[in-house]
Amino acid sequence: MSLHAQDDRALRAAQEERLRAVWAPPEGLFLRWTDTNNNQVGVWYTLTAFGFMLFAGVLALIMRVQLAQPGNELVTPSTFNQLFTLHGSMMMFLFAVPMFEAVSIILLPQLLGARDLPFPRLSAFGYWSFLIGGVFVSGSIFFDAAPDGGWFMYPPFTTRTDLSGLGADIWMLGLSFIEVSSVAAAVELITGVLKCRPPGMRLNLMPLYAWYILVVAVMILFAFPPLIAGDVLFELERLLGWPFFDAARGGDPILWQHLFWIFGHPEVYIVFLPSIALFAMIVPTFARRHLLGYPWIVLAAVGTAFLSFGLWVHHMFTTGLPKISLAFFSAASEAVAIPTGIQIFAFIATLWAGRVTWSTPLLYVTGSIAIFVIGGLTGVMVAIAPFDWQAHDTYFIVAHLHYVLIGGTLIPLFGGLYYYWPLITGKKLSDRIGRSAFWLLFGGANLTFFPMHFSGLMGMPRRVFTYPEELGIGGLNLASTIGSWVFAAGVLLVCVDLALSPRRSKSPRNPWEAGTLEWLAHPDDEDWGIRSIPLIESRYPIWDQKDFVAKVDEGRFFLPDAEEGRRETIVTSVLDARPVQVLRLGGPSVVPMLTAIALGSVFILTTYHLYWAALIGGVATLALVLYWLWTGTAEIPEKEGKPIGHGIELPLYISGASASGWWAMFITMMADATAFSGLVFGYYFFWTRQEDFPPDGPGMDGPGSFWPMLAMAVMLASWALTVAARELNRREAVGAARAALGTAALLSLAAIGAGLAGPWLSGLEPQLHVYPAIVWTLAIWTTAHCGVGAIMQLYALARSLAGRMTPRHDADLRNITVYQHFMALTAVVTYATIGLFPGAA
Amino acid sequence: MSNEGDKTIGSGRQSAFTTFGTEAAWLAGLTGWMVLGAVIIALALAALMVTASRSREGALTHRQGMRLVLWAGGIVPSVVLLALLVVTLPAMRPIRAAGDDLRVTVTGEQFWWRMRYQPAGAPPVTAANELRVPVGRDVVLALEGGDVLHSFWVPGLAGKMDMVPGRTNTLVVHATRAGRFRGQCAEFCGLSHALMAFDVVAMAPAAFDAWLAAERRPVTTAAAAGARLFDAHGCGGCHAVRGTGAASAIGPDLTHLGARETMAAGIQPLTTANLVRFIREAPAVKPGARMPAYPQMSAQDATAIARWLETNR
Amino acid sequence: MKRDAPRGRQSLGERVRGLRVTLWTLIVPPTVWAMHFLFCYLWVAVSCAKLGAFPRFPIAFVAGTLAALAIILASGWIAWVQSRTPGDDPPHDEGTDIDRLRFLATATLLLAGLSFVAVLFTAAPALLLTDCR
Repeated sequence: MSLHAQDDRALRAAQEERLRAVWAPPEGLFLRWTDTNNNQVGVWYTLTAFGFMLFAGVLALIMRVQLAQPGNELVTPSTFNQLFTLHGSMMMFLFAVPMFEAVSIILLPQLLGARDLPFPRLSAFGYWSFLIGGVFVSGSIFFDAAPDGGWFMYPPFTTRTDLSGLGADIWMLGLSFIEVSSVAAAVELITGVLKCRPPGMRLNLMPLYAWYILVVAVMILFAFPPLIAGDVLFELERLLGWPFFDAARGGDPILWQHLFWIFGHPEVYIVFLPSIALFAMIVPTFARRHLLGYPWIVLAAVGTAFLSFGLWVHHMFTTGLPKISLAFFSAASEAVAIPTGIQIFAFIATLWAGRVTWSTPLLYVTGSIAIFVIGGLTGVMVAIAPFDWQAHDTYFIVAHLHYVLIGGTLIPLFGGLYYYWPLITGKKLSDRIGRSAFWLLFGGANLTFFPMHFSGLMGMPRRVFTYPEELGIGGLNLASTIGSWVFAAGVLLVCVDLALSPRRSKSPRNPWEAGTLEWLAHPDDEDWGIRSIPLIESRYPIWDQKDFVAKVDEGRFFLPDAEEGRRETIVTSVLDARPVQVLRLGGPSVVPMLTAIALGSVFILTTYHLYWAALIGGVATLALVLYWLWTGTAEIPEKEGKPIGHGIELPLYISGASASGWWAMFITMMADATAFSGLVFGYYFFWTRQEDFPPDGPGMDGPGSFWPMLAMAVMLASWALTVAARELNRREAVGAARAALGTAALLSLAAIGAGLAGPWLSGLEPQLHVYPAIVWTLAIWTTAHCGVGAIMQLYALARSLAGRMTPRHDADLRNITVYQHFMALTAVVTYATIGLFPGAA
Repeated sequence: MSNEGDKTIGSGRQSAFTTFGTEAAWLAGLTGWMVLGAVIIALALAALMVTASRSREGALTHRQGMRLVLWAGGIVPSVVLLALLVVTLPAMRPIRAAGDDLRVTVTGEQFWWRMRYQPAGAPPVTAANELRVPVGRDVVLALEGGDVLHSFWVPGLAGKMDMVPGRTNTLVVHATRAGRFRGQCAEFCGLSHALMAFDVVAMAPAAFDAWLAAERRPVTTAAAAGARLFDAHGCGGCHAVRGTGAASAIGPDLTHLGARETMAAGIQPLTTANLVRFIREAPAVKPGARMPAYPQMSAQDATAIARWLETNR
Repeated sequence: MKRDAPRGRQSLGERVRGLRVTLWTLIVPPTVWAMHFLFCYLWVAVSCAKLGAFPRFPIAFVAGTLAALAIILASGWIAWVQSRTPGDDPPHDEGTDIDRLRFLATATLLLAGLSFVAVLFTAAPALLLTDCR
């Protein structure tokens, strides 16, 4: 197709008709919920997270009323404990992280000029998981069964079933389920940023929002899995009595704190960096110039991401760890202020160098920076361990964290809402209402939280349902309560503004005159995302590239058509965004929703100890996943390639390291390996805690080294055969490849037996002591992975037999080989640890 | 109640700004300096932001902008933060305790404090819910978690330290002036987390020694009517009163309860009426407490027990 | 830049510029910081918990810190040379190979600076606190 062809209006109309048909959302009362288009799913996701935020905010208002005066008796202590636990948990797990993912699911394809993210069905699955898990967790408060152990769930209070009830299980299992969906979204977003950029958008031209998304999604990948590992240990203790956190049987409550905060501190930056990303989009628009110091911002994002993993012990400064250990974390906690400062100064410099046009979004940005700076400065204070010994677990920290989260997450999101609302609905929100709401939010936040600095240092600990009059903090608390209602009025005003939106008329296209790609969106939005996928030559293509908008609209760039009636987008290379494939995307399907329901049933039924029903749910989940993969992935196309315009022809099928599916597997396995390392950390942590590890006594003999070494050898053989199968298949020795795959699957199954035989035959009793418990846990983790590996190997074999995998079309086999690499690593570490380390130590 | 106590009651008994210990005093000073620095930085940033947003286009060239980011965002913070670190890190070194210092093992329980005084060269003395320390001497606090996590926090004396089951954390404190102060549990520990406080009495060394000697003596009122009722209602199943048959360590030691000014872990003044109510309806006063309610106990019996406990000073 | 010059006669700077730069090389300096940090933490945790005492002559710590600083300096120097590849004026935001190289090199250089400072921060405690209490 040449440029000339696009001059033909009739052709363009025909193309648009085809695109419209392909991307049309399914209709019908039920079927409309089976859509997977990011425009739909992202909006559902955003609205749901917003709803959870409002709910959690109401919980906070009730708490503030209870604390308005000393000795108040509005709610019972039990209710109060549920209120603060749920407020914190929901704001973190059901609002801040999902909101970032939701907004990114809407914005990222627009920013990257892609039609959709690479795995739309995965996004839909993530959304339904989030909805089910979120309703399950938050609804529990209506049954007086909400978790009441604090959002950090410190054992042994929460693991002792005589002290805490169902709420702890609801928290642990309900939120584990949501963590799975968060990791799924992270896989989606990383692959999206790395592989679905438009041609020409090299790394140095990527919108900064995409940089931040990449960084934050990678952080999720390394931060959430340790918590998942902690959840596993936690539930093993609650449901089966394995004593990981019970000091009487060799456990240690501090291990949970480590695992929780290895997640919990990066989490703070996971929810903060996306807001900085919004700043990075909003500030240049209203400074009317390129953002100053692009590499500095990238430095700050990447640097913050790394440093944020060296801070977790600053939540544990008072646990009595050696002072020198605390000092390392104190130092890193100070260092993380440096990249944060760089980001803020880059924005100031941009505003300084540019021509500032005041607008509602910019007002929100500057206001939230002001609030955030106060939170950041108190953050530097509490990073000094001796000061933290006073401030820790007092209202000073409540003030600090709310300044950070309101200035660093909430108000920026409202700013983003005012900025991006025209992008999503084609209509602007009211500037007048927006400004009034801003001042209510700004004043309310300060009135609520500033006094808390003082009430904390004047002796008010956190999580108290009341306080005595003699502390002299009644006035400060009353001010906080009044402030919280002012803040709520601000939120309400924003909601009113949103509610009035449908009655307003459409605004012009690109109402802020921004320069970045997402503003190509037309007020009368089409579901296809972008008319044609542009060639990018600038960071601000709308400002800098000649006739850019018209060329996109007239389909003069790439992939302006959907001849075969399939949803498609372009996959490009990681560094330089050279086009490598036309990726066919999954269309509307009910399978993601069903899979989420089935997986959700596993978690929810386990909460109520309905293990057999949960097992059925697990089998259903597996069946659905296999069906989903079999019918929806690695499909062999009807032709090798297709032209995308300008004389470029791209293949429709690729496999290996340049394919998006390979990246998804690789990224998922990084998360899996991180969770595993959390468990291994547990083993060595207990080793440092115990004089004798393994201890002496009946039921505590180690698994020996014979069975673990055998299991390792069998597993490595299975891995080697999988690699061999990949090579044989590639060289068209299909029969040999099939034989290798079958044998590999059998070896994987044998490795399960050998892996469990060690602890089983030596009579390790996991309820007796933490040593047998952690050995069993490692063995079960590894053998369960062997089981999954066997299913994958059999799946690839079946694909080959069914003709869905050939020497040329071998994505399945290449992807399961990635799994096997990680599997081999897991087996080596596990069996060396449980089989050899006791002898070496 | 003593007059000395009345003077310090009211705001400030549990405040990091009303200090009576060396560590807390140092921290109050550090707080002041850091707040000063933070205010200066915040104001400077605000001024800079106003300047930046009001300046005309191109007021800052690319090169100047990058220099601003490098110096104001990178180099200056690095130097300031490193300096802050170098000044404050040495303060993390704990006070070095000597072998003959008084040692007090404090155990956090839901929702009260077990105190075990271990002076060098003498047998230990057990008490509860009130910590007495001599002014001018180092005291080693060995902090333990009895059931779940708690945190020992006396803002006027020193920073807090968690009480973790299976671990013993050491906090060395040094009181500098006499007075009656307050501490509270700072780690969420369950329903009555808010109701888990205690009194801290800093005393002149001689007065402290006299008090400890008195605390060591068993009660001499074992024949009183209240003592018999205490026994008859089975209170000794959980509590100890030295000098009587009651010797259980499940609940707080009540031997010299009458010498304390507050009860129920620092949440109420010690009065007969409060004691009677607590004896009969402990879960109403303190939700989640392990002590059951005794609705079947008559008011007379409860009053007799309360009066007897109060006489044991 | 003479791309065709025979390998032996290339200057060091030219050879450095020819090194492949990717997202992985971008994260070398902070990864070194992370390894150093983990090393410090584990070194102290294991010494205090298992040996019961702070190491008297912390040779491992000094060697580890110097090695970390050296690697960061080296990667920063490579990035500095690469970031000076001739081309258009700052802010180097064109869609060319050279600008992409210079962007990645600049970002790596900045990360090396941050990582260097962060390693110094992490090392400071071990100079000021020398026991396990």
